[in-house]
Amino acid sequence: MSLRIGVDTGGTFTDVCAYDEATGRIHVRKVSSTPDDPGRAIVRGLGELLDQIGGREMAEVGYFAHGTTVGTNALLTGRGVRTGLITTRGFRDLLELGRGRRPDMYDAQADKPAPFVPRDLRREVTERVRHDGRVEVPLDPDEVREAVRALKAQGVASVAVCLLYSYVRPDHERAIGEIIRDEMPEAHVSLSSEVLPEFREFERLSTVVTNAYIGPVVADYLARLRSTLAASGLRCEPHVTQSNGGVIPFVTAERLPVRLVLSGPSTGVVGAAAICSAAGFGDIITFDMGGTSSDVSLVQHGEPKVTAGLEIDGRPVRSPMLDIHTVGAGGGSIAWIDSGGHLRVGPASAGAFPGPACYGHGDEATVTDANVVLRVLNPEYLLNGQLKIDHAASYRAVARLAERLGLSVPDTAQGIIDVVTANMARAIRVISVHRGYDPRDYALVPFGGAGPLHAARLAAELGCTTVVVPETPGAQSALGLLMTDVRSDFMRTRRVAVHQDTVDQLSEVLDELTASATAWFDSEDVDPARRGITRGVDMRYRGQNYELGVPLPDGPVTEDTVRRLRADFQDAHDRVYGYRLADESIEAVTFRAQAVGAVSRAGIVRSASRGGTPADAVTARRQVYLKETGAPADCPVYDRGRLEPGHRITGPAVIEQMDSTTLLLPGDTCEVDDLRNLIIRTQGS
Amino acid sequence: MAAQRELDGVLVEVIGSALATIVEEMSGTLVRAAFSTNIKERRDCTAGLFDTAGNGIAQDEGGSPLHLGSLMGIVGSILERFPVEEIRDGDVFIGNDPYNGGGSHLPDIVLATPVFVAGELTAWAATLAHHADFGDRGHAHIFQEGLRIPPVRLVRAGVQQEELLSLILLNCQVPDERRADLRAQESANRLAVLRYRELCERYGRDVVVRAGDALLDYTERRTRAAIGAIPDGSYHFTDLFDCPELDVERELRVAVRVAGEEMFFDFAGNPPQVRASVNVVWTALYATVYYSVKSLIDADIVPNAGMYRAIHIDAPTGSIVNCRYPAAVNGRSETCQRIVDLIHGALAPAVPDRVTAASNGANTGVHFSGLNPLTGKEFVYLETIGGGSGARATKDGLDGVQVHMTNTSNLPVESLETEYPLVIEAYELIDDSGGAGEFRGGLGIRRTVRVESDEVHFWVDTSRQTSHPWGLRGGTEGATAKIVLSEGARPVDHGYTVLRPGESVTIETAGAGGYGRPRDRAPEAVARDLAEGKVTRRAAERHYPGHLGCPGER
Repeated sequence: MSLRIGVDTGGTFTDVCAYDEATGRIHVRKVSSTPDDPGRAIVRGLGELLDQIGGREMAEVGYFAHGTTVGTNALLTGRGVRTGLITTRGFRDLLELGRGRRPDMYDAQADKPAPFVPRDLRREVTERVRHDGRVEVPLDPDEVREAVRALKAQGVASVAVCLLYSYVRPDHERAIGEIIRDEMPEAHVSLSSEVLPEFREFERLSTVVTNAYIGPVVADYLARLRSTLAASGLRCEPHVTQSNGGVIPFVTAERLPVRLVLSGPSTGVVGAAAICSAAGFGDIITFDMGGTSSDVSLVQHGEPKVTAGLEIDGRPVRSPMLDIHTVGAGGGSIAWIDSGGHLRVGPASAGAFPGPACYGHGDEATVTDANVVLRVLNPEYLLNGQLKIDHAASYRAVARLAERLGLSVPDTAQGIIDVVTANMARAIRVISVHRGYDPRDYALVPFGGAGPLHAARLAAELGCTTVVVPETPGAQSALGLLMTDVRSDFMRTRRVAVHQDTVDQLSEVLDELTASATAWFDSEDVDPARRGITRGVDMRYRGQNYELGVPLPDGPVTEDTVRRLRADFQDAHDRVYGYRLADESIEAVTFRAQAVGAVSRAGIVRSASRGGTPADAVTARRQVYLKETGAPADCPVYDRGRLEPGHRITGPAVIEQMDSTTLLLPGDTCEVDDLRNLIIRTQGS
Repeated sequence: MAAQRELDGVLVEVIGSALATIVEEMSGTLVRAAFSTNIKERRDCTAGLFDTAGNGIAQDEGGSPLHLGSLMGIVGSILERFPVEEIRDGDVFIGNDPYNGGGSHLPDIVLATPVFVAGELTAWAATLAHHADFGDRGHAHIFQEGLRIPPVRLVRAGVQQEELLSLILLNCQVPDERRADLRAQESANRLAVLRYRELCERYGRDVVVRAGDALLDYTERRTRAAIGAIPDGSYHFTDLFDCPELDVERELRVAVRVAGEEMFFDFAGNPPQVRASVNVVWTALYATVYYSVKSLIDADIVPNAGMYRAIHIDAPTGSIVNCRYPAAVNGRSETCQRIVDLIHGALAPAVPDRVTAASNGANTGVHFSGLNPLTGKEFVYLETIGGGSGARATKDGLDGVQVHMTNTSNLPVESLETEYPLVIEAYELIDDSGGAGEFRGGLGIRRTVRVESDEVHFWVDTSRQTSHPWGLRGGTEGATAKIVLSEGARPVDHGYTVLRPGESVTIETAGAGGYGRPRDRAPEAVARDLAEGKVTRRAAERHYPGHLGCPGER
């Protein structure tokens, strides 16, 4: 029996999580991150964790999965490699022109994001393919070779290729790829027809350029980490999470690094989905609140919702990813008063340093300070005493705002909580109501250090009646890594009418996808018994340009399948837009297949009560300011570790654990289930 | 129903955030459900929520600022024509007329839905979509420009008025698209009603309504605070205006007075309205002034009607900037773009760090229409092409973007060529088109379109073909706009020509003015522009002679 390890590298902490297959127990270790070389913290945390669980050996680790933000950070800080671009003649400036909109409608001082490839490293080649795949102007290999040599002379380390209609006919891009590999064997090559075979040239271009720009950075990082881990005794092939929440081996990840941009946040969602499904909550909204931002996403029937792309710093990146929406609202978000006298919170953050005023280095009031003032957070220390809290500093910071607002200090602190809650509710509406899902039908699942603190208010704001707080909310992402499958996404863009007469065409595309998925399983050596392929079709009415995704039933494509696809699409359209049109005008645009190789997951351990009563878990009582009671309330403070399955408490109460605090509002009830989740039932809105 | 909470600044902020979400969701729904390229890809549309008096309380910031002009009058126009007690739940009003419907030009069709909460009229939800139709028309007066629709019910108490719809569609060249896009607008409005009602369920109707009032006050306070920071005084600016439809340039002018926390805009002395499409109706003028003020004082101010209370506008009736019936208005955005430039130019001495030098000064619109061999039906393809954005006090201007009153997206080539018998041969920045300066003006855009079917009618609205976008504080002027036809094609006459298969038209939009003296430009910036080819060596020798051969150059 071996150890399974999950490692999540965050901005402040690196969490290492181990699942011991022999005992069925999960162990967690938190160490400070080392941003200059994230691998150091990983090896250190891993070593400490192995010691912690009784001097286990690295050789006993049978599975290693990692969530990383290395790619994302390279994007956000502009630290990718020198990248060249080859495009169709007449279109080298498309990277700058984008979709033509300016970055901010009213702010004349706003700037567009600097293109990852400067204009002098963008080369045009004469060629033209038409929308139907016809070659109007053939490619001239000599001209291509000349362009590649020029880029080589300019010292590029990576080359992106994006030609018009390459998603219909990739031949020209492939030919260029061959020439690049021939002339510059050491260069990283990204073809748009491989990275994103989808319609809309700018979005495809932006994605392939992003892939090229961070490719070598991600590849180097993974290669270095791989050898560091091997040197410290790791014997298995390490895996990394993609934005879609699935893991792939390091070696495979190096080919499509753009698929890792949400590697970090995606595993928390997957873990929450797994835990909550086991606990009987298939429909959840996850709410991961950290120091500077919050990530929210929606899970339906145990499956995280996926999306085809997002914008990072104003640059579109399209790849299969969990539909995670980020908002600049975290514990460190700074409260301020605008020129109209309104209290605002964020997006500026006090970050890890100086941090909230109560950490003793800064003097600006943050969300954390508001919680300290209200005494929802322990006003003396956090992290089991490792972090001293300066309550007076929080009070001073909030009082400065209170004076300008003409409100009491507690009311101002509560105002900060209300405003940040509204900001987070707005983010959740983006991934729920905007997509046609009613948040009232979902349980809210908070994690991250600050999530459980704000969940009850957020639930009330959204009308959610259930909150599920997992056992270790502070290490949810690392834990999630032990619950993710090996996974890869495949897609084809092809416009086909969804009709009895087109069964053969539909069938052909889907067979191609299945073949690709099967080939991938073979290359990854996935046990045939553990393979699963789920397929879907993005459809629309002919004339629309945005599609709605509909899952495809298993089995061969028949007239019955077509009927069902049409009916499901019509229902989806009616749900989202409130009307339906004639069946004849439905067309399929993008076909998707997701190949999943089930890993043996960390067991989800059910446990019985070790006895005792909730009263035994009360460690203190604290006067907590709660707007719901209008006056400071005498709240019991519970030690989460001593709350046992079956225990049931009624708010108001504060539940503390090492790296997180849960607030239970007056009248809300909280029960510990046999997975040691806190199941909070709110009184509704 | 939730317990009624007392309305404080925090709750106003919370409800304001929910209202903003509603208008964003409306726009998103409209774009995703739409059929015409102008909506589904170019996002030439917007959404807003209004109180029962017609004050805008939330507008989607994804749309174009000029859309406000076509939205702001609609509720008032409906209330002028219909007794409020006759307005029913389930009604949807349609309108586009600048003189009777609160519109600002005919293609911007507005759908406005009354929001009833517990049986009481509580708010209005409206969407505006620029329907790319009414192509290849005349512009001597409004009657040539398309179908005029006063505010009338498209849906009466939930029942679609098919007879009216058939009348409207018969006047359109691409009726299928119109029908589908109108349905998408209805869909967005319906959603707004649902969301607004949910909000009232949660906070109480009265609280939501009062929050709307409080939001107006809040915006007014912020507007006044920001205007108060501008030095008091009177500021003037004049500029020459050209467009393809006019044979001679006109001189446009503005006088701006800043007094305490209020601003006064006086447009006296502007030329009389013209027998061409570039006249500006008052709603469009107001939207233009409001945009200009917001962009100069505080981009973060919540866009609603509270802002208008601190701003006073006076413009002679019957002038090009405040036209009266029956002036044509289709190309009003050309003039509006120049009004923004005028206001920036006037206020340059007062707020030099906020203004920009002249941008490309146009909303270059190109319209191609004819028979589409791919469908056997008529097509109308509209695109507006961005250009240079003016240089700023501490930064270069943006290259090739939509500026000021418009902010639509371009149509992807891969969408365009699939739908229309047209081919895009180039879409690129124009070297040397930005004015020189310590900070360089943005570059214009070149777009070449080849025609593949018989008899394609081409119309272009633009400006800055004769006068150059000006620089500030020693910055030089940007390049002018040009329309270039392939050899043998019939030349453009007053903005119109007809193209045959294989012929192409190249549209070059203007660049923008520079800011500050060229000799103060950082040598690295000159070197970077040279390396990137945005400035050619010849131009660099002329404008930056002291900077050549310096170490930064590659």
